[in-house]
Amino acid sequence: MKFINLLKKELTELINAQMILGLVVSLALFWLMGNVMQSVTSELAEDAKNTNVYICDMDDSDVTHELIKDMESNGAKVNKVTVNGEDYASGFKDNSFKSYVVLPKGFADQLTSGEKPEIISVSKLKSASTFSGLTGGTDTTEALINKYVSIEISKQKGVSEEDLKHIESELTVVNQTVVADKSAKISSGVVLGKITSTNMILPIIIMVLILMTSQSLIASISNEKIDKTLETLLSAPVSRGSVITAKMLAAAIVALINAGVMMFGFSAYSKGMTGAITSDLGVSDKVGKVLSAGDAMKQLGLNLGVTDYLIVGVQLFITIMICLAISIILGALVNDSKSAQTMLLPIMMMVMIPWFVTMFTDVNSLPTVPKLIVYAIPFTHTFTAIPNLMFGNTTELWIGLVYQIIVFAVVMFFALKLFKSDKILTMSLNFGQKSRFKKNGKTIED
Amino acid sequence: MANVLEVKELSKQYSKVLAADKVSFEIGEGEIFALIGPNGAGKTTTIRMISTLLQPTSGDAVVAGHSILKAPEKVRESITYLPDEAGAYKQMTGIKYLRFMAGLFTSDIDTLNGYVDRAKNICGLGDRLNDKIGSYSRGMIRKLLLARAVMTKPKLAILDEPTSGLDVLNALEIRKTIKKLAAEEGMSFLLSSHNMLEIEFVSDRVGIIAKGHLMVTGRTDELKERYNAPNLEEVFERVVKENEIH
Repeated sequence: MKFINLLKKELTELINAQMILGLVVSLALFWLMGNVMQSVTSELAEDAKNTNVYICDMDDSDVTHELIKDMESNGAKVNKVTVNGEDYASGFKDNSFKSYVVLPKGFADQLTSGEKPEIISVSKLKSASTFSGLTGGTDTTEALINKYVSIEISKQKGVSEEDLKHIESELTVVNQTVVADKSAKISSGVVLGKITSTNMILPIIIMVLILMTSQSLIASISNEKIDKTLETLLSAPVSRGSVITAKMLAAAIVALINAGVMMFGFSAYSKGMTGAITSDLGVSDKVGKVLSAGDAMKQLGLNLGVTDYLIVGVQLFITIMICLAISIILGALVNDSKSAQTMLLPIMMMVMIPWFVTMFTDVNSLPTVPKLIVYAIPFTHTFTAIPNLMFGNTTELWIGLVYQIIVFAVVMFFALKLFKSDKILTMSLNFGQKSRFKKNGKTIED
Repeated sequence: MANVLEVKELSKQYSKVLAADKVSFEIGEGEIFALIGPNGAGKTTTIRMISTLLQPTSGDAVVAGHSILKAPEKVRESITYLPDEAGAYKQMTGIKYLRFMAGLFTSDIDTLNGYVDRAKNICGLGDRLNDKIGSYSRGMIRKLLLARAVMTKPKLAILDEPTSGLDVLNALEIRKTIKKLAAEEGMSFLLSSHNMLEIEFVSDRVGIIAKGHLMVTGRTDELKERYNAPNLEEVFERVVKENEIH
């Protein structure tokens, strides 16, 4: 009985409203992540079932017509793509497909002379998320063409051992990657790898910065509240505005120093990664001149200029300011050291959700409700800033920036209002506890 | 004797609870006035309103000629406030804390140095002022904070439970400092305490507050005589009972 009594007391201490809130938030996070993964996997599944094949027949010969018929007889639904000269981007008139194969001029001649002909695989890259490279490739089309070509060559030459080896040798594929209206002779996988490797650290920097900045400001305000040094400060001949501005500025300066140090480390890391990626292009050496990943990025307009970095800098600054304004409110809610730790949870959630989502997929590909939730989180727009700049989604970028400025203005307004009112001293978050007024019928303070 | 503080029907309503109900009293120059009452009586709420930390629901208080409603910034120039069980910045040394706090009251470096020297003399912490506050005992912190509160020679020093949690010797030292500053420098003090015997020793006049009402004010001797009580605790008991009857 005594033990039950003890156990009951321990359970009551552990199972509190804070814990339940944490569980609810975790569930919400898993639900959101589930939706993200579902949309990605359903896209992959649809892609696997897809019998559509997109072909640009530049050779326009009897052989290529025969090839297309053969593909159709194999169950493929062939869609013709028209391209203006070598402007491969012009092939993507609508967004219904992500890649196509070009049968170049001389395809038939090469085949009739007994050689394996060259084909061109064109892929459109729309975002830098991990899963965007997994769907809509030209593997099926390439396999169908290879099959036809192999049979044709074997017919011409008879199936000797040497011929068979030759026939079964891999098809020479020249990859073309298109970003917006630009194309470059490189595989989309290499470009994606380059983007991922160079941009992997930046979201981590954003996340660490936000968490460190929030933690320091929440701790600063909560310590002052708990130690009652805030009361001493607020009763001194200084305005409340200057007390809070000094706190925010100090936190912002520390955040900027941290950002500077981390960006320096990031640039060193980025240089190291560039060398590694360029030396491993993954494209056959047989195919004449191949672009380096760096040159390809430049040609595709994926390299960011000074203006782009300035915009990213401005967005990072606004992000830090939003995070500081939210932290003031959260810090004001603290009434003991335990609740000070809990207060970081909302900020953590607001960072982790967009970080995970943007890492795995394109936010736009999410179902409507999760998409709106993710976009409503102001920090999402900081995570999507660089991909938006790279892929020319300027409208999204500016909408995100304007939204962040509005969020900052609103949160800052409430933070200042709170700091200038009695609430900075009297407000606290008592999960599941009745107000001390109601409980005692007396006062909060003496 | 000119009044340094005039409190006029000051009230504070928190949600459904009236924490202070039309509290009125005044403090003269060089006077030590103590608000006494049990925990939850409304002492801190009244003090916080006078210190411009809380907005009164109604009423006003005038500190050195400045209204807490109309000129709170002027009020803050005339007062210093020492909260109950207040701490200080643990990472700072005692001397840095004094310089930091003095810097909030003046931009003139000579005046600032004057404030700090005065605080050094009053707190009597000597070389320990060069140590981090985190290493101080509770008594040392209280002495440092009291020195901080009086170093600028404010017109009114507001001290909430100035000796709470201190041992007898430290408490006695703080009481002596308060009495000395009032007697020799004419500094006015508003104290609050639930320790009525201590207040009997240190204050010139007291105000007995309970459930947000200031029930009676007067000199300790007068009150003891009026209520025929040997000490303030019994005065308090009789005042509360009398008010319950009425």
